[in-house]
Amino acid sequence: MKRVTISALIALAASVSLSSAPHALAQDLDSLNLQFHGFATQSFVKTENNNWNTLGTNGGSAAWTEAVINFSSTPEPKLRIAFQGRYFLLGTIGNSISLDWATADYKVNEKFGFRVGKVKTPAGMLNEEQDIDPAEQWILMPQGVYSIASRNSTLSHYGGVVYGTQAIGENGGKLQYRTYAGERVINGNDGLYQALRDRGFTLPSGSSGPMYGGMINYFTPLKGWMLGGSMDSEHTFGAINSATNAGFFEPGHFYQPYLYSRYDHNKLSFGGEYTRQALVKVLAFNGVPPSTSYKDQRSFYGYGIYHVTNKLTGGLYYSSTIDKKQKPSAAKYQKDWALSVRYDLNSFLYVKGEEHIMDGTYLGYSSSNNASGLKPNDKMTMLKMGVSF
Amino acid sequence: MTPNPSLSAAHLIPFIEQIVKAPKRIFNMKKLLALPLFAAGILSVTVAHAQVIVIANPAIKTSDVSKADLHEVFSGSASSFKEGGHVTPILLKSGTANDEFLAAYIGKSDSAFRASWRSLVFSGQATMPKTLDTDAAVVDYVAHTPGAVAYISKSAPHEGVKVLAVH
Repeated sequence: MKRVTISALIALAASVSLSSAPHALAQDLDSLNLQFHGFATQSFVKTENNNWNTLGTNGGSAAWTEAVINFSSTPEPKLRIAFQGRYFLLGTIGNSISLDWATADYKVNEKFGFRVGKVKTPAGMLNEEQDIDPAEQWILMPQGVYSIASRNSTLSHYGGVVYGTQAIGENGGKLQYRTYAGERVINGNDGLYQALRDRGFTLPSGSSGPMYGGMINYFTPLKGWMLGGSMDSEHTFGAINSATNAGFFEPGHFYQPYLYSRYDHNKLSFGGEYTRQALVKVLAFNGVPPSTSYKDQRSFYGYGIYHVTNKLTGGLYYSSTIDKKQKPSAAKYQKDWALSVRYDLNSFLYVKGEEHIMDGTYLGYSSSNNASGLKPNDKMTMLKMGVSF
Repeated sequence: MTPNPSLSAAHLIPFIEQIVKAPKRIFNMKKLLALPLFAAGILSVTVAHAQVIVIANPAIKTSDVSKADLHEVFSGSASSFKEGGHVTPILLKSGTANDEFLAAYIGKSDSAFRASWRSLVFSGQATMPKTLDTDAAVVDYVAHTPGAVAYISKSAPHEGVKVLAVH
C-alpha cells in the first residue's frame, strides 16, 4: 500500500510540475512558491543512576542528534505538495535518514480538505508536532504519551487524512475534525522494539498493518481554551527471528483514546492529556506454542509554561504512567517531574535546559546498557541547542 | 498589543472564582463570553495599531474584516474570511509596521510568530507565507495577486489595493 500511495503522490507531483512547467519557465519559479526549511538539534544527556534509552548517559552522552529538511510547493492556492526528511540518532537507534512524511494536500474550503501520501497521524494533542523541536518548550516530551524512542514510527502513516473546521454559530467557538486511515509501518530498528532486541530477537522487516482513527477539537468561546479527544486503532504484525528460530510477532489490535485540554492566555499556558493503550502481544516461533503478554498502559501529564520575556520561557510538567498488567515493582510505573528553561537567542537559534526527577523504570530504559540492573529512581539533566530556518 | 505589567495574582482571583464556583454556568454562552472580556479588562490592554493598515487585492469582495478573522488567517488556522473566498496572507520581513501588526492582531513577537508558522510547516499543515522586504513590494504584490491580504505602514502609498477596515 505504501508503494501505491507514494507512487501516486510522485505521479501527482510530476503531473502538477509538468502542467505548471511552461508557466514557471515563462515567468519564474516564484509562481510555484517553492520553499525549503529545516532545523537541527544537538542534545547532551547526563543521568545519575541508570543509562537512559540506549545512550551511555551515566558518563554523559551527546548521542542524540536530529536534522530535518522540508520542501514544499504551492502550485495552486488550494494545493500544497511537500515532503520532509530526517536524520535521527538516539544512542543505538536510528543513525539513518528517513522520510518523515510526503503529502499532497488539497483544501477545498475551511470545512473540508484532505491529504494523501505519507501523512502525519493526528492522534492526541501533540502527535503531529511532537517531533518539531523548535516549536516545543520541552527537550523530552512526557514519555508515557509521546515516547522519544518510538516517535518516528508513530508520527505518520501511509494513507490519508480528511480535515476541516466548522464554526458553531457566531460566538459558540469552532469544532476542528480530522479522520484518517491507512497503513502503519514500523521500522525494525525502531525504539518501540528495543525490549525485543534486548532479548536477542530481530525484526528484519519491522511490522505493519492497517490503522484508522479520528480527532475532534473544540476551540471554546473562551479565547485560548481548547478541549479535544481522539481515538487511534492499529493492528500490526511482522516477522521475527531469534538466533535459532523464526516466527511472527503481533502486538495486538488496540484502540487508543486520548483526552486533552489546553489553555493559553497571554504569557501563561497550561494543559494536560490522558491516554490508555491496552493490548495482548503474541510472540510465536515455528514449532513452539505461542506466548502471550498483556499490557494496559495508562498515562497522563499536566504542564504549565510561562513566557518570562519574548526570549526566555520556563516550564514545568508532571507525568505519570502505570501498566496495570505488570506485577508490583519499580518496572510497573514511572513518575517524572520536569523543570525546563528555554532561551531564544534570535529567530533561528535557541538553547534549552531541563532537569528530570524520575521514580520508576517503566519507560525509557534498555537492558542492553544497564547490565547490572536498574535502580528504581533517577535524576536526569538534559541540554539542547537548536537552529531552524 | 501591550499587556500592562501591573497584573497581579489579586486581579486573577475573581476570575478564578468564576470558574471554580460556577462549573455549570461556565457553559452558559453569554457568561462564557463575558470571561475573556473580564480578563481583558483586568489586563488593561492597550492597543497601539494606529500606524498600520490592512490591505487586500481589489478582487476580494469584503471591505472590512474582524480582528478574529485576521488572527486566524495570519496564524495559519484559516484560509478565508467569513465574507469572501480564499485569501493568502503576505508578511513584511521586519520593521515597525510588522511589529505593530503582530502585537495588535496576533499577540506574538516576531520570533514567536515565525516559530509558530515553522511548526505548521514542519508538521505538514501549511506553507510559510510569502515575506517581502518593503511596503512598496507588499503593495505591488498584493495589487497583482488575487486573494492576497497584507499589512503596511499607514503612511506608505497604496494605490491599486483595497484598504480593509478592521473591526
